[in-house]
Amino acid sequence: MKYFPLVWAAIMRKPARAILTLLSVMIAFTLFGLTIGMNATFTTMAKNARADRVYVGARFGGDMSLAMAAQMAQIPGVSMVAYTNGLNGYHQEKKNKVYAMMADAKLADTLTEWPITRAQWDMLQKNRTGILISRQQATLWHLKPGDDFVIASPQHPRGDGQPWKLRVLDIVGDVGYMSGGYILGNYDYFNKSLPLAKQDKVDQYFVQAGDPTHSADLAQKVDDHFANSTIPTQSITEKAALDVSNVGIDISAVDRDIALAGMFMVLFLTANGIAQSVRERFAEFATLKTIGFSDNGVMALVFLEAAIPCLLGAALGVGLASWITTVLPRLFPPGQGVPIPMMTPSVYLWAIFSASAVALISAVLPAMRLKRMDIATALSGR
Amino acid sequence: MIRQIFIVCALNFKSLPRRFWTSMVIVVGLGATVGVLLSMLSLTTGMQQAILHSGDPGRAIVVSAGSDSEGQSVITRAMAPLIVDAPGIAKDKDGKPLADKAATMGVPVLRKDGTKGYTTMRGLGTKGLALRPELKLVAGRFFQPGRREMMVGRGAQSLYKGMNIGDKVILPGGEWPIVGVFSTGDLMEGQLVGDADTLMTATHHANYNAVLVRLKSMDSFDTFKKALSTNPALSVTAQRHSDWYKRVSSESTIGLVILAYIVGAVMAIGALFGCLNTLYAAVSARGREIATLRALGFSAFPVAVSVIIEGVVLAVAGAAIGAAIAWTLYDGKRDAFGNIIFFLTVSPATVGLGIFWAMLVALLGGLLPSIRAARRPVVDALRAT
Repeated sequence: MKYFPLVWAAIMRKPARAILTLLSVMIAFTLFGLTIGMNATFTTMAKNARADRVYVGARFGGDMSLAMAAQMAQIPGVSMVAYTNGLNGYHQEKKNKVYAMMADAKLADTLTEWPITRAQWDMLQKNRTGILISRQQATLWHLKPGDDFVIASPQHPRGDGQPWKLRVLDIVGDVGYMSGGYILGNYDYFNKSLPLAKQDKVDQYFVQAGDPTHSADLAQKVDDHFANSTIPTQSITEKAALDVSNVGIDISAVDRDIALAGMFMVLFLTANGIAQSVRERFAEFATLKTIGFSDNGVMALVFLEAAIPCLLGAALGVGLASWITTVLPRLFPPGQGVPIPMMTPSVYLWAIFSASAVALISAVLPAMRLKRMDIATALSGR
Repeated sequence: MIRQIFIVCALNFKSLPRRFWTSMVIVVGLGATVGVLLSMLSLTTGMQQAILHSGDPGRAIVVSAGSDSEGQSVITRAMAPLIVDAPGIAKDKDGKPLADKAATMGVPVLRKDGTKGYTTMRGLGTKGLALRPELKLVAGRFFQPGRREMMVGRGAQSLYKGMNIGDKVILPGGEWPIVGVFSTGDLMEGQLVGDADTLMTATHHANYNAVLVRLKSMDSFDTFKKALSTNPALSVTAQRHSDWYKRVSSESTIGLVILAYIVGAVMAIGALFGCLNTLYAAVSARGREIATLRALGFSAFPVAVSVIIEGVVLAVAGAAIGAAIAWTLYDGKRDAFGNIIFFLTVSPATVGLGIFWAMLVALLGGLLPSIRAARRPVVDALRAT
């Protein structure tokens, strides 16, 4: 630390160069933070996916019937069946699309990993017109507990022709894969308020496997069971549903390549900057060595000189990226399926590691040159 | 003046080898920027080309008003004959209009890698094949109207499991055998094709999704469109098939295109700072040369221009390298997004865009250093060590 002013003076000798390098590194690390953060979102999603959950939907689109719940519960290996029906509509204007999952009582027992307390689930059962709204959605619609939220729905009209007037019971946490947030309501209330012809429909079943290792088989069993019925099903395990590679393009690899290209660019920039700086101050380093600095000491100075803009730039860049991730949800309203990068500790670790690696690699050649230099020649300025 | 610019530039480039690594900052910076930009755009360009290729301007598609996709659209059995009998539609040999009332639906499939996905099952009417001369039988036979059987596109066959002739696919109302393989060279290759009425009976769908017609001539679209829009019994929109796919293509790729531009722009900003850095260094390294030239009577302008030209040349070289890397890595590679099969494409247009992008960065990055080079007092620069 004693030599910090020395290094600082070296960097600030050419303030324009220092600032431009810093900015360039910062930009590269902003991109790095966002892309690696995106991958962190994907891995977190896949890791947190419940092994024992199977989603069942209608194979050829449309609704399923409530009667299928009892049949599913009979399939060997099924430990629980919960279901929802979606309230599709809009708030005030047609462009303000809203989707609320109207949940049956058992959803509380299966979605145990969602950040909703038992008391909150109970509120939902006790208040038939109540909804639980996730933070993102609450911010979007400017809602707080106790507020009324009116949803008009041409697809799911109320039996009496009125719009749906729902009361916000509480605000709950968001779930990674529910991008844009979610709204949970009471299935029983919703179901009984629909016109008769629209009652007893389900848009998604949540089937829980007794043995998580057999959930894929169970999905197959459910589909086999309904294969020849009027409503064939299409079942998928949560693990498979939340796997990004399922979209057909390996987004994680794309992210990695972008981050890598950015690092490559920065590597050239810092390596060049430090090489120039050392070349310009060759005589000064010779002086340092003359007054007793060891080879390693001088090399350490060079490494430090490279590391400061790298680490500082990385910190600023990743900081900017984290700030962007807090702004992004506002730019991409719900339902667009835009995953928001997550700044997990591993993102920061990778950033520190990459910044150190860039600093190290870019300083290696100039440092070696200083180690091998002949003091007398350097001092004579030849 | 031009001569002066030329001389100063020549002098600059002669000294480039001495500043090789410094100059590489610009080359690598823009190489990485353009490489990433073009790689990402290769995906969207390829997809757009595949989608646009599907649209024939000689055909028109009719969907219910306000529908963005065939799946959303509803053409009732009462509406369909009114559309088919509208003026402007070409007639087949038998004197009947070349119009096809079609139904589409999503069908779950198993990809070759074992993951679950969806493709489109397209039900064609009696004129469905006559309307699509591009649909060619590759193997097996055509499906027969009225029978629960279907044909599979060449692309779908390569993407999904169990799509060979004789295989059976679970569809509503049981298993439908595959009797033929077809090629179209467009989006339909990723889909399944069967008889519309049979499909609708099996799925209990009362309504068609869309009507596709062959226009009498390229100019008869307006007649056709007007006939539909003035008919009070119809609430539909007609679009040229090519315009329809233009919208589909921009809608399905817009997100990725924006993402590519954002990433490209962010990297370009990073490269810009590198460019500024390098050119400032170049100007200060050549301070004495520049001053000497000025002392010999060269004016400030050629000196300034030469700095920018140096930046632009290096940037374009970098962009060319980046484009070449993107081209060798990705161009022509087959890829699939959903059931859209396409070839990654690094097109001349995107390469041009990349080079333009690089030149813009170099121009911006060269401006300030060039001003400094031109403004520096000759005497000071000559004295400087």
